[in-house]
Amino acid sequence: MLADKIQEVFNEPGCGVNQAKTTKERKKGCSKPLKPGAAAGGCAYDGAMIALQPIADVAHLVHGPIACLGNSWDNRGTRSSGSQLYRTGFTTDLSELDIVHGGEKKLYKAIKEIVQQHNPPAVFVYQTCVPAMIGDDIEAVCKYAAKKLGVPVIPVNAPGFVGSKNLGNKLAGETLLDHVIGTREPEVSTPNDVCIIGEYNLAGELWLAKPLMDEIGIRIQSCISGDGRYNEIAAAHRARVTMVVCSQALINVGRKMEERWGIPYFEGSFYGVTDMSDTLRTMATMLVQRGADPAMLNRAEAVIAREEAAVSKRLERYKPRFTGKRVLLFTGGVKSWSMVTALEEAGLTIVGSSTKKSTKEDKEKLKKRKGEEFHMWDDLKPKEMYRMLRDSEADIMLSGGRSQFISLKAKVPWLDVNQERHHAYAGYDGIVNLCEEIDKTLSNPIWRQVRLPAPWE
Amino acid sequence: MTQVNEFPVSQNADKVLDHFTLFRQPEYQEMFKRKKDDFEFGHSDEKVAEVSEWTKSEDYKAKNFAREAVVINPTKACQPIGAMFAAQGFEGTLPFVHGSQGCVAYYRTHLTRHFKEPNSAVSSSMTEDAAVFGGLNNMIDGLANAYALYKPKMIAVLTTCMAEVIGDDLQGFIANAKKKDSVPEDFPVPFAHTPAFVGSHIVGYDNMMKGILTNFWGKSEDLDTPKTEKINLIGGFDGYAVGNNRELKRIFGLMGIDATILSDVSDVFDTPGDGEYRMYDGGTTIEETKAALHAKATISLQEYNTPQTLQFCKEKGQEVAKFNYPLGVAATDELLLKLAEITGKAIPASLKLERGRLVDAIADSHTHIHGKRFAVFGDPDFCLGMTRFLLELGAEPVHILSTSGSKKWEKQVQKVLDGSQFGKGGAAYGGKDLWHLRSLLFTNKVDYIIGNSYGKYLERDTKIPLIRLTYPIFDRHHHHRYPVWGYQGALNVLVRILDRIFEDMDANTSVVGVTDISFDLVR
Repeated sequence: MLADKIQEVFNEPGCGVNQAKTTKERKKGCSKPLKPGAAAGGCAYDGAMIALQPIADVAHLVHGPIACLGNSWDNRGTRSSGSQLYRTGFTTDLSELDIVHGGEKKLYKAIKEIVQQHNPPAVFVYQTCVPAMIGDDIEAVCKYAAKKLGVPVIPVNAPGFVGSKNLGNKLAGETLLDHVIGTREPEVSTPNDVCIIGEYNLAGELWLAKPLMDEIGIRIQSCISGDGRYNEIAAAHRARVTMVVCSQALINVGRKMEERWGIPYFEGSFYGVTDMSDTLRTMATMLVQRGADPAMLNRAEAVIAREEAAVSKRLERYKPRFTGKRVLLFTGGVKSWSMVTALEEAGLTIVGSSTKKSTKEDKEKLKKRKGEEFHMWDDLKPKEMYRMLRDSEADIMLSGGRSQFISLKAKVPWLDVNQERHHAYAGYDGIVNLCEEIDKTLSNPIWRQVRLPAPWE
Repeated sequence: MTQVNEFPVSQNADKVLDHFTLFRQPEYQEMFKRKKDDFEFGHSDEKVAEVSEWTKSEDYKAKNFAREAVVINPTKACQPIGAMFAAQGFEGTLPFVHGSQGCVAYYRTHLTRHFKEPNSAVSSSMTEDAAVFGGLNNMIDGLANAYALYKPKMIAVLTTCMAEVIGDDLQGFIANAKKKDSVPEDFPVPFAHTPAFVGSHIVGYDNMMKGILTNFWGKSEDLDTPKTEKINLIGGFDGYAVGNNRELKRIFGLMGIDATILSDVSDVFDTPGDGEYRMYDGGTTIEETKAALHAKATISLQEYNTPQTLQFCKEKGQEVAKFNYPLGVAATDELLLKLAEITGKAIPASLKLERGRLVDAIADSHTHIHGKRFAVFGDPDFCLGMTRFLLELGAEPVHILSTSGSKKWEKQVQKVLDGSQFGKGGAAYGGKDLWHLRSLLFTNKVDYIIGNSYGKYLERDTKIPLIRLTYPIFDRHHHHRYPVWGYQGALNVLVRILDRIFEDMDANTSVVGVTDISFDLVR
């Protein structure tokens, strides 16, 4: 039952926010009631899609009217080194008649057509508002289709109205736990295997970290879900250690994998030098504790030392140019905390950061380090954002696409650090990429032009 | 401390590689190959190549066209995004989407990516409880919050499928919300029911337009007022609205016509970077909208975007005329003649000169376009307009495809094709998607594809060059700022097509000593 699932997700003990709550607060669940009539973010379906769509070789079929897929297919720059099937938009495109008669038959037929035409290793079926409301039982259809067609058909039951994007991420994780992870045994298994959770390989970020892991001898056995393949995720339960990158979204997967298969997990990040080094170190340490060759620790330290030296040499170039430059950081989740650290290492001053998706611990950390002067917002309204930028409280804003234009209209340079970015900012190289982009943005002549009055004024 | 070898990374202290080059470096290619060998266990490369070849065959096409249930890569969006677009063209108007909230985030992103402008719209954020008990409270609170937070001059209410499935009664809800003082009694809150499971974004446009006009033209005693000399013009859902509407206004100016563009998004989707943030900008004013009832005629430039709206205008005693995305010489002629006929204004010498210049430009270049085969996809009206223009240039439109095209539309396209010897091999495909088009392109080759950014995949798979000329264009910037309507607009379209043809020629003749025999300086 979906309702039970949602309750379970809300009660996630691994979640930092949850741990800090009283029993009474916990009962209420995590969804803040949305404010009708205000600008709003995505929905549960969106969250589920975002979390799973990077699984590159499966067909993602959206069961619903044209809306959910028609406005969103292939809208994310997550990269695949193999199959590109995930970028094809499949939908049942329900019409009025389908709503009257129910969409289950059409859904089965659609799954069949996909299997006949594309033969993917699995089909993921996404439930949306309308079929959920008219009672289409996608779980039953998927079960039947899987049996009939001999292909795993995975029901992703996160219709939009059940809640926020973040809830959708979590429900996507639950789907993997219920239907995918642990359903097959890997051909090869080594004591150096890790599973990375909540990394989506946007702009190829995972690939900035992976060569270093290869070098240390850490084997990425599966990644959920960046550059993912169905079969590797199905065998994710054989990893020796899991790393949870975006803990706000998928901590439940990490914790339950520990519960079911005894795989210890840690929360880490690839953003910023310090975090990157910590991550590599922790990974190696945990693997060695579980029986990997202890030489791995030395290799990790050597790689870290080499990379840190190289990166600090490379960041030197920017320091004089960045001195005194103030940054307003407006991103979601894990990035706000790690990026603050990373950017300060390059000599920038961070004047404020959004903490909308950050955990209480993250906020505490920020507060401790930055003092009371530092701005933190759970929710900054566009008008307020505009005012801050207008009053020149920042020299550059780093944010996602939706607030881009507020910054541009306020004559403040802007850089995309969210899902539409074209540059990878993870790992040691990523921080250099980020500084390079910030530098370009700060020094582009158009900003001077924008800020000067016209010659006749 | 263990010594590690210098790992052969292509990045170094002085060189930051972008993703285009980085992931092609040998160490990455090696990494990807390892992933494939150790994790994928897919079919052999030979098998993949064989099946890939098969997807290009007639056999596959037959199976593909037999699809009944799944839609793959559609060229349509849903009613609400069209309705939102229509609403945003009115002054100070905030679209208020009654239903689940994720949808609105999608619409805003979609429009933002194309127009490169912020896009404002709100949602009543209905959740599961609202789905059970109805969304009245969301409407009451939502209207109050939206009115207080964003200070619009008008709130246009539309719906997502969720609200439609439970059958929320917008008229009653809005009346209730006004009773509860969510917004002042006389504050305009036009509405439209826009279920996504009926029609597509062009139907939504029609519904919202009619909803707004109904709201302002509702009083029957107004009908006795004599008609003025003004005319109304409706552009429809148009990705080039910024350039097109300004071009239309320029033409009105030249002809001395007093016209109202109903829903004019050209300013709100193109605000200047002068340090002022404009949540609303320009647009058709409420006064103009009210007065539009007394116009003598309403002209729609996209028939399939406005069937109900035009019917409504007719009922109000107006003359109506409809076009199908007028592109090219003849289509612009017809539009100007219609304008002249309705208003009694003459077509000025300056426009005649523009026409002459366009004809001259086409005559200068026609040899390069003559006989070239094209596929066209997009909205029904765009496909019609584009097909006509191609025929005018002596090009051959072969596949014309629109996911929101009807049987009636297919017949209409066929008629256009039948009217020219260049249309002989052409056919229209309504209700089909881009995966169908892929089969068509493989089994019946063309030289160029005209469509939107989603044509990229077709270009990649078939190696047929894509020319982006309709909404959405996500991967090129600022095209929408140039008109495609009018003689000036036709010239822009001509240049876009020619540029692509010439680039293609150069690309095909640039191997030194092999193909560069035809690498000409003068084309």
